[in-house]
Amino acid sequence: MSQGDILQSMKEGSEKAQAVVAPATTLEEAIAYAVNLTVQEGGTTMAAPGMDDAARKALSAACGEKGITLLDSPLRAQMTKIHTAFTWADRGIADTGTLVLNSDSEEFRIATMLSETHVAVLPVDNIVPSMDALEGYMTEHFKKGPGYIAFVTGPSRTADIERILTIGVHGPKRLHILFLDGGEK
Amino acid sequence: MIHTPETEKEFKAQIKKSLEKDFMRKTLTNFSVAYRQSRSNAFANLDLEGMREDIACMKDAGIPNLTVLFDEFKKNAEAAGTIIHVAKDGDEANRIIAQIAKENGVKRIVKSKSMTAEETFLNDHLEKDGYEVVETDLGEWIIQMRHEGPSHMVMPAIHLSRYQVGELFSDVTAKKQDPEDIEGLVRVARKELRPTFIAADMGISGGNFAIADSGAIGLVTNEGNARLTTTLPRVHVALMGFDKLVPDVSAAMKILKILPRNATGQALTSYVTWIKGTNECAPGPEGKKIQHMIFLDNGRLALAKDPIFAEVLRCIRCGACANVCPIYRMVGGHTFGHVYIGAIGLILTTFFHGKEKARGIVKCCLNCQSCKGVCPSKIDLPFLIKNVYAKVQEEDGGKPLKTRLTSLLLKNRRLFHTTMKAAAKMQGPATDGPYVRHLPNFLMGDHNFRRLPAIADRSLRDDWKQVKPKVTNPTLKVALFGGCAGDFIYPEQGKAFAKLCEAYNVSVDYPMDQSCCGLPTMMMAQMDTAKDIAAQNVKAFTAGDYDYIVTLCASCGSHIKENFPKLLTKKGAVPADVKAMADKLIDFSSFMNDVVKVKSEDFMNLGRKVTYHYPCHLVRGLEVTEAPMALLEKAGVNYVESNESQVCCGFSGSFSVDFPMISKNMVAHKLDNAEATGATTLVTDCPGCVLQLRGGAEARGMNLTVKHMAEVLLEEKK
Ligand code: SF4
Ligand code: SF4
Repeated sequence: MSQGDILQSMKEGSEKAQAVVAPATTLEEAIAYAVNLTVQEGGTTMAAPGMDDAARKALSAACGEKGITLLDSPLRAQMTKIHTAFTWADRGIADTGTLVLNSDSEEFRIATMLSETHVAVLPVDNIVPSMDALEGYMTEHFKKGPGYIAFVTGPSRTADIERILTIGVHGPKRLHILFLDGGEK
Repeated sequence: MIHTPETEKEFKAQIKKSLEKDFMRKTLTNFSVAYRQSRSNAFANLDLEGMREDIACMKDAGIPNLTVLFDEFKKNAEAAGTIIHVAKDGDEANRIIAQIAKENGVKRIVKSKSMTAEETFLNDHLEKDGYEVVETDLGEWIIQMRHEGPSHMVMPAIHLSRYQVGELFSDVTAKKQDPEDIEGLVRVARKELRPTFIAADMGISGGNFAIADSGAIGLVTNEGNARLTTTLPRVHVALMGFDKLVPDVSAAMKILKILPRNATGQALTSYVTWIKGTNECAPGPEGKKIQHMIFLDNGRLALAKDPIFAEVLRCIRCGACANVCPIYRMVGGHTFGHVYIGAIGLILTTFFHGKEKARGIVKCCLNCQSCKGVCPSKIDLPFLIKNVYAKVQEEDGGKPLKTRLTSLLLKNRRLFHTTMKAAAKMQGPATDGPYVRHLPNFLMGDHNFRRLPAIADRSLRDDWKQVKPKVTNPTLKVALFGGCAGDFIYPEQGKAFAKLCEAYNVSVDYPMDQSCCGLPTMMMAQMDTAKDIAAQNVKAFTAGDYDYIVTLCASCGSHIKENFPKLLTKKGAVPADVKAMADKLIDFSSFMNDVVKVKSEDFMNLGRKVTYHYPCHLVRGLEVTEAPMALLEKAGVNYVESNESQVCCGFSGSFSVDFPMISKNMVAHKLDNAEATGATTLVTDCPGCVLQLRGGAEARGMNLTVKHMAEVLLEEKK
């Protein structure tokens, strides 16, 4: 599979699972996207666990401009307040449109599970064609001791009432995936 | 608390009640139709058969080694801080979990969906001990509040309407909820359960796989509640059966690739969560989670050693065997099962919850093979259901008189054939043309939905000398396996076959020592008789050196091809004569189309309007779908496909006598669909289906002729 095919398949898989896919050439662009989306949705807070200092600084500035609060650690104290979670995604699985999130950190888990909207930045070089390519990644991850990995395909959903597909039960109601194609991270 | 009938009478009463639940029936019927489509979309471009084979092989390699896998898992999980327990039964599992709660000063517990916890009735136990337990999967939450069990493994509340949920949620929130606004109802769950998650001290989950070489578990969910359950509270307890152990990530992924596709037609669920050891958890000791895992035996380790039943441990709990079951869709999971429902439930109930809970349901299977055809682990569910039925009867000490008599009769070919002859004479005054005039008393009432055929004056074997095709230098030498219905009720079908063979220069023998194929005895779970009869038939057909053994009965055919080898396996191997008979066996349509290779020029092409019913044992037993279509095309008829043309007609021999209320609904469904095509002839490939459909059409006074394919081909032949 060429990289173009992989990207196309990742996009189709994600969209089929009701995720929104958009391109981003730099992390700044991704930050702007997340902040604007939060404003559009009427959100006032963001959580961004796992961002390095530089990214956090840029995010903090962008949030400040739009009057959005960038929540500080520990998020456990603010569990009901998280509108947008802005995070990296570790890997992508193209054929199902799945994000692989290294969720070892509790902060990361709280943000990605309890937010209303999750914006994940996925470096395009980290997308694999199918799950099989991740066997090594998974085995390695669990070799070092405790660990928590999440495969996420679209937003939270249920069909428990009359089999009618309804989005957003316990997890994020919206999932945006930004394909980062600028050699960053 | 769930209630499951323990006597046949009570069970039948419950079936009748379930049949009145119109909403449920409609929902389950729509679901079963939609499911077939979404499943096939989900597997488009994938090698489904290869994937199924992989799962079966992987599981079969693990089943004899579950304790080895367990030891490995334990070592790896303990190294990451998890505390591992083994529970020999449900009670012990519940006690262990209650003890963990006590030791950790737990008050509030949240649960994500776990069939294993349903199996042990964990909630009841914990609530009795004074804990507050809240199910967080939407469907489970709904049924918990209604004090019901799940009616489906994957969609626990599928039996309920939005109105029932709306009413319940209005009570919960003390505010009127609009039942038409399903999104609104879902929001109620999100809003109500958030604080519960946040306040909980302990989270209980199940596990879809336990990976031995890493000590991690995997959870496959859509809502996101399992993630919260395993993240927010300071204690996490996972309860799993031993059968969830797999060797490595690659094996887990094999399951993951097939499970959501086969369960709901999704490529992957929204969330797959992989957890190993005591992860970060701020409120836990030293900022770490307290994690316990309980492996439940409850009969699994003994099952793993059982030569027949070990196969059930391949189950990955996808729920598909219920989705496609024509009985499930009519009566729902609360009737068609105990805790586990559908085909797999019919089997597991005996082992996990005892024969009392299984007694009613084990008999209630059409042997239609639909479940087997979709099972991702290739479990021979219908065969195991019959075996479990035999087990329950044995443990109940003795078989019903009717069963014993039938068994005795069918075992002795001469006695059986003499009886049939006598019956043909005796019924004389009670017949009305080809039908029985009055039904015997025990068949009245519920059974009036179809007219039963009379036994033919002269059987096929009586007339065989005259019927046998007269050919010189035949191109093929075949034997005909008649089957009971073909021999004694509808000899005209065999005669049509003989005429066709004469026209195509094929010689046909009718070995006189052949008897009933034995399927009816297997349906009554008389496994020993089924074996005896199978052996008699193999002997009868071994003498002649036939190119093919042709049968007009799809049920006999699939029984011979598939069950004879299973029944007659000796020391793990299938004897050569049994294998030869199974290999030579071919159904009528495949024989005419693929072997004789009839041509369009041979037929008159009159263009009469026909539709077709696929016999269960033709499509799912012998896996034949194309030959009948090719024949109809060559015959030049105007073929119109019926909706759900591959769904069972509801005959299934003694089933339709035992459960007339189900059989009646099924044949009605079939005939409605046939009627909608506007066809005047309904063709099929099995005398059993002819009996059911013709009898049903006659009782309704329909303008629809039901015929066997052999009769239609002969009529169309130039
Ligand atoms: S064989 Fe048919 S009737 Fe029996 S359990 Fe399977 S699907 Fe249901
Ligand atoms: S028996 Fe097969 S079809 Fe039924 S739930 Fe288990 S895996 Fe699925």
